Amino acid sequence: MKHAWFAVTPAAANRPALVVASGDIDLANVEEFRTAMTKACNGSDALTIDLTEVSYCDSTAVGALFSVAATTTLTLMIRPSGNIKTLLRISGLDRVATVVTKE
Amino acid sequence: MPVPPFHPRAESAHHQLFDRILERVQHDLPDAVALAVTVHPRTGGATEYASCGFGSAYLAAQLSGLGGPAVDAAEYQVPVLSLELWSDDRWPALTADSIIDRVSGHDDQVRSAKGAASVPGIWRSDETVVLSCLLNRPADAGTMATLVGYEQLISAALMTSAAQEGNDVADMLAVLQSRGAIEQAKGMVMACLRCDADEAWATLRRASHESNVKLRVLAVALVEHVGRTPAEQPGNAAPIAPDERARKAARLLWAVLSRAFRPASDDD
Repeated sequence: MKHAWFAVTPAAANRPALVVASGDIDLANVEEFRTAMTKACNGSDALTIDLTEVSYCDSTAVGALFSVAATTTLTLMIRPSGNIKTLLRISGLDRVATVVTKE
Repeated sequence: MPVPPFHPRAESAHHQLFDRILERVQHDLPDAVALAVTVHPRTGGATEYASCGFGSAYLAAQLSGLGGPAVDAAEYQVPVLSLELWSDDRWPALTADSIIDRVSGHDDQVRSAKGAASVPGIWRSDETVVLSCLLNRPADAGTMATLVGYEQLISAALMTSAAQEGNDVADMLAVLQSRGAIEQAKGMVMACLRCDADEAWATLRRASHESNVKLRVLAVALVEHVGRTPAEQPGNAAPIAPDERARKAARLLWAVLSRAFRPASDDD
């Protein structure tokens, strides 16, 4: 299992708030992930989450992403192929968030 | 490929509990035309624990081999959302007609159904519990946020009913423990008293205050008491070891909660 970390960049004049996530996101650290998203979102109505370095998201992490998408305009950055892309398609997250791919 | 069995209604003394939970979900999702709680073993098939509207037919159609949000939620262990189910390219075979074939008197409701969502819950390592809804409007991320909010209550209700039926709960306890004992204990209180999270929290705090046992310790003791086995506490923090006073407080609290639960239960 890869250790996860989350880097928060609040919104600025020319770009939305950003959370860069890395590693496995699951029950053990989903609270930390939620906190990072809340902190980044603070006062802004758009949030970008960079998932390109995320290796795995469990059910609670996907649930947390849906909850954020319910209140914010959510953009997810992912790799053009791999299990995160598959996960977004299976869950339908790709229909409530904007998905952009990055090598 | 043989179609795995679908059992429309589990013979559980606690089905009323799941019916009550679905009433709450219906209250929060007034546009829901079908709701269901199903338990899916890893080996295939499923058992329905509760349903409203045409929830039973909705699940039966998915489990007959047509697939759908509930089947995928159980198989892939992720929440599954469909904005417009009848035109969703993920399940082309799941149509309004496939459900109308299985139920009478709901034709218009089935045809006008739009959004759908299913969320899997942590229960046991060899089974997944799934909460599903079908709405008469397109679903959105908020639909999923509402369902996700109920997932923990459903898991706790299953655990409570299994514990009261004397099943071996060591396995599910090990899975559940990592969620945090306080959240777990809160879920148990909610399931028993059929109250909301705030009231459950107040109940735990009151019990903690009255017994002079720290809330976290009481929560661990309660989870261990109901599971009749030591709680595993993975994580970085030092594990909590409830002493005899905490265990006694947990026993007392559970006795009170179980009595509160009993009148609505069957004949025990």
